[in-house]
Amino acid sequence: MRQPAMPIPSPFQSSIAKPGQGKVVLSLLPPNNPTLTTLTYKYPLKLVPRTGGFVPSPDSSALSDTCPSNPVHLYLLTYGGGLLPGDHIEVSITLEPRTRMVVTTPQGSTKIFKTTPNNSGTAPNVIKGHRDQMPANDHLSDMSQQSLDVNIGRQAALCYLPDPSVPFQHSRYAQVQTFTVDATAKGTERSSLCVLDWVTQGRTSRGEDWNFQFWRGRNEVWAEDDKGKRRLLLRDSVILDDESGDLEDTLSDEDEIENENTTYSTTHTGLENPVDLPPQAPAGLTPLNIIAERTRPHGVVGTLILSGPVFEALGSFMLKQFQSQPRIGSRNWSDHAPSVPEPSLSYKGDVTWTAARVRAGFVLVKFGAKDFETAKHWLGGLIREEGSVIREFGEEALCCL
Amino acid sequence: MLLKDTQDLEAEVTLLESRLQDARAQLAASEYPSPPSSWAVRAEYNTNNNKSTTSTRASLHALLLLSDSALPLGSFAYSSGLESYLAHNKPSRTAPITSFHRFLKLSIASIASTSLPYVLAGHRQPSTLDTLDNDLDASTPCIVAQRASIAQGRALIGVWERAFRVSFARFETPASEGTEAAFAAIDDLSDALKSCLQEDEDLGPKGHFAPLWGVVCRAMGLDLQQTAYVFVMNHAKAVLSAAVRAGVMGPYQAQNVLASQALQDTMMKRIAREWNTPVEEAGQVVPALDLWIGRHELLYSRIFNS
Repeated sequence: MRQPAMPIPSPFQSSIAKPGQGKVVLSLLPPNNPTLTTLTYKYPLKLVPRTGGFVPSPDSSALSDTCPSNPVHLYLLTYGGGLLPGDHIEVSITLEPRTRMVVTTPQGSTKIFKTTPNNSGTAPNVIKGHRDQMPANDHLSDMSQQSLDVNIGRQAALCYLPDPSVPFQHSRYAQVQTFTVDATAKGTERSSLCVLDWVTQGRTSRGEDWNFQFWRGRNEVWAEDDKGKRRLLLRDSVILDDESGDLEDTLSDEDEIENENTTYSTTHTGLENPVDLPPQAPAGLTPLNIIAERTRPHGVVGTLILSGPVFEALGSFMLKQFQSQPRIGSRNWSDHAPSVPEPSLSYKGDVTWTAARVRAGFVLVKFGAKDFETAKHWLGGLIREEGSVIREFGEEALCCL
Repeated sequence: MLLKDTQDLEAEVTLLESRLQDARAQLAASEYPSPPSSWAVRAEYNTNNNKSTTSTRASLHALLLLSDSALPLGSFAYSSGLESYLAHNKPSRTAPITSFHRFLKLSIASIASTSLPYVLAGHRQPSTLDTLDNDLDASTPCIVAQRASIAQGRALIGVWERAFRVSFARFETPASEGTEAAFAAIDDLSDALKSCLQEDEDLGPKGHFAPLWGVVCRAMGLDLQQTAYVFVMNHAKAVLSAAVRAGVMGPYQAQNVLASQALQDTMMKRIAREWNTPVEEAGQVVPALDLWIGRHELLYSRIFNS
């Protein structure tokens, strides 16, 4: 039997003091004890683990030859239940071989607070440190950012079904989630992952309808072999941009550069400038809400990524469900003025979705729904109906659905 | 005698000036610090008209070849989601034309944000073609779009190998470094595709359209602006052609849209926006489009492959 690897000393130990950073290493100590050998985090991030909550029955496992280890539940929290402009959450998780982890967000939706000058100064050092890596867009500096980096070892499994992110009006947010799997593992030894990433139109109770400035969600799965060679297996990237930044850039290019020089020395001149401008100024020039136009008729859009032996059954189930959806349109579909407008089948249940087995065995589910509740019931319903996630990870893996 | 000297000198100045212009054009082609703007393109064509050197004539010739709707890529088989969009959005309140214009705009924005960075990267660094091919395959979220992209990419390789390669291998002598790299990159990908056809390798080379387009344009001597413009223009043409065949509009109306300033502005704006987007930052700006394309398979009846 393969010995569990010794916990590797973290190369980030000295830099862990940065705000918003967190690091988790889950190891399997003999005989079969999942143990968090590293758990560090810094304000405004909080990581709370819970072990022993659920014990999968041995016969239920998809991995017939090995007894699965008990999943460890990790709660991902931020103070205030959301992200302020300038917040940069950076979580690194390592799942050593044969471990299992459930990650959820127990605070409800991840709120992305709006980008206003008053809030921008929370962590100026963090912002400056990352300026150079960003695309040439000044507006990225006052963004909220979250990066999640998960290393999933051989036979290990991650189940990450969080609440959606809810970007408030005028907010700016970028998220990069990178998952690295073991390229040398084949067949049932492969790493498994289930990742949900969804975003809503905002606070519907306040009448928000895709009124934020920018939201970007990027999910990447990489395979890394024992020599450290990496290969991109899957990239899912959604960019929702109201493109108001474009107008400002072209209108006041010189002004921007001038501000750029003064921002570092006197932080407030650069930040106070927007106060003079009404926030709706660019929106006035572009009467249409571009993001709403591009997501219509949906109030929430999202992606579910499934891969590996543990989620094989769920993936196949989703594909089967997709393929058994009723066909769309009638025989005379090109007749664009039918006397009796038939009800569009695609919106029955208010969820429009698609599932595909893309490459390397990945099943990618994309969906759009009328609102958060609809999407939640639909997705939660499908996953519960199939049942393997609950059998392997327990009901609490679905606590956000 | 003096007069003769002056004439000689003048002739030499003209020659040197034209060479300087050529050198500048080549430098610009290799660097491209700024995205194209409509006036820059226009200015370039004006200068091109005045001096018809071999290289610009070759480039114009290549441009016409690649923008030809008769280029056998099979683009007519794909509607880029239009067919599915029409089925999902039955025009009950809005006129079909209005609904189509919405789709065209979304479709151009989407192709620019998802594929154009790969076109540009293919042209800028032809030697990275295999990585670009892998990364675009990893980034294509549904089978329908993947099939369409691969089929057209492989058709492009076919046209290149069977028709263009011979002529364009001759044109640039001595071939510039980039052109040579482009030739080599296409050959390598083509070999890789042939050798893995049997074993059906899931993660093997695929031959996606966008990066190949960039590399083939490079090999044929198109500059980066032309490459990007023709790519987006061909996409618009394909969507409009699909619209005509789907009965959304008539052929004259389609040409009218194609010729319109509004379409040109939209295209220029999208190209300028994605000009410096690295491929890692490419992504879908129209999430609804992924759903329509993915659900094309569910249509009761289909006339297009996507």
